[in-house]
Parts: sequence; C-alpha cells; structure tokens
Amino acid sequence: MSTHSKAAEKFIADKERTAWHNQALWFVREKRDRMARSVPEWEALREAAARTKIHTVTHLAHYLEMFERNATANGIHVHWAKDAQEHNEIVYGILKEHGVRHLVKSKSMLAEECGLSPYLEERGIEAVESDLGERIMQLMHRPPSHIVLPAIHVKRQEVGELFEREIGTEHGNSDPTYLTHAARGHLRDKLLHADAAMTGVNFAVASSGAFVVCTNEGNADMGTSFPKLHIAIMGLEKVIPDYDALAIYHRLLARSATGQHSTTYTTHYKRPVEGQEMHIVIVDNGRSRILGNPVHRNMLKCLRCGACMNTCPVYRRSGGYSYSYFIPGPLGINLGMLADPKQYSGNVSACSLCMSCSNVCPAKIDLGEQIYSWRQELDSLGLANPVKKGIVKVLNTALRSPGMFHFCIKAGRLGEKIAPHGLLYCSANAWGRDRELPEFTSRTFEQIWKEELSSSAPAGQGKSEESGK
Amino acid sequence: MKIGLFIPCFVNAVYPQVGTASFKLLRSLGVDVDYPLGQTCCGQPMANGGFEKDSAPLARNMEKLFKDYDYVVGPSGSCVAFVKEHYPEILHKEAHECLSSRIYEICEFIHDVVRPTELPRAHFPHKVSIHNSCHGQRLLRLASPSELNIPHYSKLRDLLSLVKGIEVMEPSRVDECCGFGGMFSIEEPAVSACMGADKVRDHMSTGAEYITGADSSCLMHMEGIIQRQKLPVKTIHIVEILASNL
Amino acid sequence: MSSKETILEALKANSPAPVERGPLGFTPMTFSDPLAEFRERAVKAAAARCILIEEGDDKASADTELSGNRATSSGDRTPEEDKSGSIRERIASIVRRTYPEARRIASNLPEAASCATFNPDELEDPRDLAGTDVAIVRGAFGVVENGAVWIPRAFRHKAMLFIPEALVILLDRKQIVCNMHEAYAREDFDTYDFGSFIAGPSKTADIEQALVIGAHGARDVTIILL
Repeated sequence: MSTHSKAAEKFIADKERTAWHNQALWFVREKRDRMARSVPEWEALREAAARTKIHTVTHLAHYLEMFERNATANGIHVHWAKDAQEHNEIVYGILKEHGVRHLVKSKSMLAEECGLSPYLEERGIEAVESDLGERIMQLMHRPPSHIVLPAIHVKRQEVGELFEREIGTEHGNSDPTYLTHAARGHLRDKLLHADAAMTGVNFAVASSGAFVVCTNEGNADMGTSFPKLHIAIMGLEKVIPDYDALAIYHRLLARSATGQHSTTYTTHYKRPVEGQEMHIVIVDNGRSRILGNPVHRNMLKCLRCGACMNTCPVYRRSGGYSYSYFIPGPLGINLGMLADPKQYSGNVSACSLCMSCSNVCPAKIDLGEQIYSWRQELDSLGLANPVKKGIVKVLNTALRSPGMFHFCIKAGRLGEKIAPHGLLYCSANAWGRDRELPEFTSRTFEQIWKEELSSSAPAGQGKSEESGK
Repeated sequence: MKIGLFIPCFVNAVYPQVGTASFKLLRSLGVDVDYPLGQTCCGQPMANGGFEKDSAPLARNMEKLFKDYDYVVGPSGSCVAFVKEHYPEILHKEAHECLSSRIYEICEFIHDVVRPTELPRAHFPHKVSIHNSCHGQRLLRLASPSELNIPHYSKLRDLLSLVKGIEVMEPSRVDECCGFGGMFSIEEPAVSACMGADKVRDHMSTGAEYITGADSSCLMHMEGIIQRQKLPVKTIHIVEILASNL
Repeated sequence: MSSKETILEALKANSPAPVERGPLGFTPMTFSDPLAEFRERAVKAAAARCILIEEGDDKASADTELSGNRATSSGDRTPEEDKSGSIRERIASIVRRTYPEARRIASNLPEAASCATFNPDELEDPRDLAGTDVAIVRGAFGVVENGAVWIPRAFRHKAMLFIPEALVILLDRKQIVCNMHEAYAREDFDTYDFGSFIAGPSKTADIEQALVIGAHGARDVTIILL
C-alpha cells in the first residue's frame, strides 16, 4: 500500500469526520461553480489565463529582469535565491540587520516550502502567522492541511478548546464569530508591535514593478501597515507581464479559490511609503528545472487557488495530512514528484483519474493527465508498487492472446465456485473488504456472438478473426 | 457504413448481456454491425496503473482487428476514451491515422451519428438515476461537465427520453467520481470504497430503482457496494434500457 | 556567478520555444446599468453598505441606501438633514447616523471636514491610529463585477484603510467600470504607490467555512456614492 493509501485508511476510519470534511470542501467547490457560472466568458477567461501563463513561462527570464528593473526603480530591494537555503539566509540576513525579534507573517506557501519559520525560530526570531487559519495551525503546532483553507480539517470545538488554552477564550464557547473576534484581539497587538512584516506574493507585475497580495482578512495589510520593514517572498513563476494579465488572474483567483468575486483586499504594493523599507526575494528552488521538463512544466502556470483540492474526491475524503508532501491534492501530488520522486511517490496513487481537477483549474493545468504521466514514470524510477506490478504481469498473460483470455475467464469462474468465501474476501483482498466481487459469466459475449448473434448479422460478417485456440 | 463492435474485456467476461444489447440496439437502428473475434482488452487497466508500455501489444491487436471498419463502437466510455486519448502516443501515430479517430462510445455514436428520433420498442417503466461517469463526462463529453460554464446538455438523457415509461433522475453531485478508477480501487481501497458508497447513496436519494450509465466499470464498482451492503437499488447499463424489448 | 545570473541562465537554458501571447479572445462582461449593478454587488457580494446621495436638494432628495442583512438606518434621519445643502453636511449626516457611537473619526478629506474628529496625516506613528472608529477615504473608481473599490493611497498612513472599525469610502458615481479589464486599463491606474481594491468589510471563513465579518480589518464598510 502507498503512504497515501495507508494514511487515508486511518482518516476514513472516522466516518463521520470524513463525511464532514468531504462536505465542507464540496461546499467550497459549489461556491466556485456558482462563480464560474456568473461570468459568461468564464471558459474563454480560463483559456486566456492558460495562454498568458504559457507565454510568461516561456519568457520567464525576460519578465523577471523587467520586474527587477522596475521594482528597483520604484525603490524596492530585489534579491534572488537559488534554493530554500539561500532564501532563508537572505530573509534572516535582512531581519538581523534590522534587529528584528518579532515578525508577523501572512500566509505563504513558499515560506512553508522553504521551512522558513523553524529556521528563524532557531535563530531567535518569532514568526507569528496572522491569517486566522494559519494561526490556528501554528498554535496547534501542525502544518496547514490545505493551501487556502489551512484549518479546514479542524472542527469549531477544537478551535474553541485551543483558544481557551492559548488565548483565554470562554470555556465551551465554539462560536466561529466569537472565536474569530477573539483572535482579532489576540493578533492585533502582535500586528501593531511587530518589528517586521512578511507577505507572500500572488502576482508580480513586470511592466510596473508592483506586486499584489490578496487576502480576505486584511491580515497582510494590517501586518505591513506598522513596521518599517516589509519583506515579500515569491516563487519566480509568480511574475506576470502586465496589468492586462493581472486583470485576467484577478478575475479568476478568488472565484476559483473560495467562490468570491474578489478577495476583500487585493492590495498593490509598488513603492515603499515614507520611512518604510521594502524587500522582495525571488526564489527558484527547482522551478527553473521544472521549466525544462516538457511533461510537467505546466505546473508553473499554477495560481495556488486550491480549486483542484476542493474538487478532488480523494482529497475530500482523505484530508491534507494523508499526503506526504506539504501541499496536498492533485497539485501536491505533482509538485511533490517534481521536488523529489523518491520521497513523495507515495502520493501518486491518490487519484482515480476523474479529471475534475483539470476542469476546475483556472490556468487549465492538465493536473490529472500529469498524474497519469507520473504513474508511467514510476517503474523506470524503481518506485512502482510491486503488488501492482505483479497484477500487471498476470493481466499481460491473461490478455495478450484471445485463447488465454477466454481460458482465464473459465478458470476464474471455476475459482469463484470452489474458493471458500473467506479466501475471496480475506483482508489481503483490497477489493473484497468493502465490496462484492463481480462474477464471471458462464457464457462470454464472444461465445454468444458465435452461437447466436453472428448468424443474425448481415451475411459475410462475423468471421474476421478466429479466436486463437 | 461498416461498424465494428468493440466489447471490452470485463463486458465479455462479466456483462455479456451488455454486448448483446449493444448489438441488438445498433442492428435495430439499421446499422451494419459486426463483432470482430479475438478481442481481449484495450490496455487501460495497466496504463492507468502506470504500465502504459504493457498496453502496446493490446493496442496493436485492436488496430489490426478494427482496421477495416468505418466506425468502432463500444459500450464503455472509459475504454473508448482511453483508446481515443492514448493510442496515438502508444502506437506512435497521428490521431487521424489510428483507431482513435474512428472510435465512439455507443451512446455518443447513436446520438451524434445515427441520430434516431424514436426507439419504438424501448419501454422501461422505472425510475432511473443517470451515472455520469468521469471519462464519459470529462473526456468524451457525453454531457456538459459540472465544472464548466458551457450550455447544459446530456446525450444520455436525450437518448433515455426516447424510452417510454421511464423516469430519469440525476444525483445531486451530478458527475462526482464513483471511486472505481481501475487499479485505484485496489491501491486505495478505503478511499475508493468510501467514494463508491457515497455515490450509491447519492443515486439512491433520488428515489431511483436503477442506476444506469454508459460505463460498465463504474456500474460494476457500485454493484459491488450495493451487494455488500444489500441496498435496495440495482445497476443496469444504459444500452440494456435502450434495447429493451428487442 | 551570482544567484541571479545562475537562475536566469537556467531559465534561458531550460526554456521551451517561446509562445506568443495572442489576443484576449473574448469580450468581457458589461452591464446595462452599471451603477445599479455596482450597488447590488457591493452589498450582496462584498457585504458593504452602499448609499447614493441623490442629486439636488429639492423635496425629492433622499439618500437611498442598499444594505445587506443589516437593519437599514435610513428611517432614523430627519428630512432636514437630507435637504441640507452641502455635500459636506450630507456626508456628515450619513456618517453620524450610520455610526452613532463613533468617537474617533479620521479623515484628511475636505468633504469629510464636518464629521472628522482628527486629521490622521498629522500623526507621526501609524500605531496611533489604533482606536479609530471610522476612517473616511476617497475611492478612485468602483468595479461592478466584484463590488470592489480601488483606493490608491492619498493619505499618510496606509493603516487608515485597515485599522478603523469602519471604513467609509467616498466615490464619484460616474467612476464605475464594469470589469477588471477596464479597471486596469484606466490611464491613471498605475499612478499609485500603494493601493487596494477593497470589496466590503474584512472577513474570514477559516473556522468550519462559517463566514465571519471582521477578521483583522474594518468590520463595516460604507460606500457613499456622490
């Protein structure tokens, strides 16, 4: 069994919770569908998004240099990091230079990717998450289980207990409004008195040197409003050519992510305002390598909206932690394999190839098709599941010749009759634990054809090929 | 117009009545239909499991068997979609040079090519819930996928509307996966079975007596759940309904 | 080689054949009555309050308010308030009746001079904005498709937009665009140093997908259409 399969089995053992998790995410998918239907040109918009991204991805060096030039002219300090290590060193270097002890962060998947918070904590810098969901997870000492809805797997009662313990809310009160407002109070002080703010970047506009950060809570905005120092970090694929491109992505992002027409705050940072210092770190960390991968370079089109997770029937029923990579769902399966196939191949099984992810993706990334491709690559990487490999060997033998095929059906039918029920439905039988096996027929279609139907077909047909006996 | 009937391996081995119904239905529509002997499997099971290279001999066999037919028609959306999508690459051919350009799922073929305005004998006085299978829906576009903002249509519903006495429903999550996914069903048994059970319940909540669709594999998966849980609903392939009383 | 050079070299070496961008390929959505639709969406989609100041000061003059599931406060006002001449008084009247409890009202706008209790630009430290009940700012234009208003910074501290309990946005009713394509194509768009499209009050659904208004930013947003 794959790592995902094992972890998923544990999650699903709690049926009620699985159903709740499934429904909570389906609710987001439905909101997204309503948004998609409210925009008559939705599909053309996705098409434009995909085309503009591919154009950008094939001109990355050009647009990144343009962005750097314009951002620098705007007074923003631009840094480049080859990998996670260099990213962390750059961020730490800036913080150290400014004597920062307390940093407020808004949600950034890149920071997770680079392991920034633990890196800073080891060096005596406290990094407080300001997004409510991220803060919940930080207080729980657990990673987010979804890239947009970090605490989607946590029940309100659990948040109530956590907040009672950590920030002193009333015992037994798990009302979301009460808890959210308690967190507002708890975090306000941290936001006001932080030494520095860090944000991610949703879009970096090359033509203007501006970058855009989207939130609903206003946490990134509050965070960057008080300290003298703002550090923004971005994966290099976040660059887009200009405002025409931004219009496309602005229209798609929130509608796809949470089913809103727009995030509450779509904030544009172009120049540091009086007395502030602004830095931006452009991070590669394997992205340039992905660009060279013809099958998987489409992953660089991703807007990180999370729609592929919300629609994924496997993710909804197995939860974010069932995936070994820090990003779950169809996106995480693909990004994990691009990061390190040996470490993350256990997620590749987590897909029924239903292809819904490819249909919801605002940038039209072929997520499902790419998972199919990874499966083809596992064997040559030495990572194929040996049981599956065995099954394929049996299938190869059974299916390559018609004679063998029909012999196997007969043998299978006999086997069903004589094998004890306990053997057919033993725990080792992955199908049989929850499902009855289909029964082989006593008369295959081919036999029926030969014996009955071929004579009723128009003359001269029904003998194109003899079955090889 | 010469039609080759493509009968997938598990239809041959488990659901031969679906093959028979397909043949009778096509013949009743005046189509010149033939079944080339020697068919086994299209190769999808191994390919979806990650062993596409092992499906190459099967693809070559399919190419050989069906080379002389104008159309190839099969009662399984998923298998047809596999041939359509993957054969060009597996066989290193352009799409128009191989089977992939001529293959149709049977409902798609009847709906788009034969285009009957009536099915005089079809009578099925039952409440059925349509199972919009993933590959039928998202690869073959037998109906408008729920994710897309395109005008709504359903070829299966159109065909079922020609059947007398039938009442047609659809589940609330109209094209959510049933969790079969070939090798997925045994590699991820817990998720797969959970998806199957959820899907059957969704179909049952329409009040349907039958779950019907164009994919025997999904129906087989749901039937496994139904039998194990002894649920009061049955599965039936759509061609069996369309070919009723033939 | 610097990291920048290393990265750019790798990108150039790995880049596939360039793909042209192509035209947009569709006509973006427009609305037959953009102002009405903007008000509708600002309220329903973004959860803001939207008040249109009617033109003229004759007897027909009344401010029409659209608000979501809140109790409308239009009934509380006296006719005298509405008929009073200047825009400045009209704004003050709306702010006072919408936020009767407000004690600290921040604005640097002349139009808000009658109701503002202090000029936030005179504060050295943005932290001193803590405790602001209402801030009144000017929006550059509204966007129909998402009910958002573009607010480029025209005040000293950007915290003005986020720290008050309530945000009042003054917006010229003629400055409405249908969609984001029109928004970003405006000639004056790129003149900001800091700006935000704000669609209603701060919100979150991070606890069980239950929508809660008032996460970190303003708990209440009123758009006054002039």
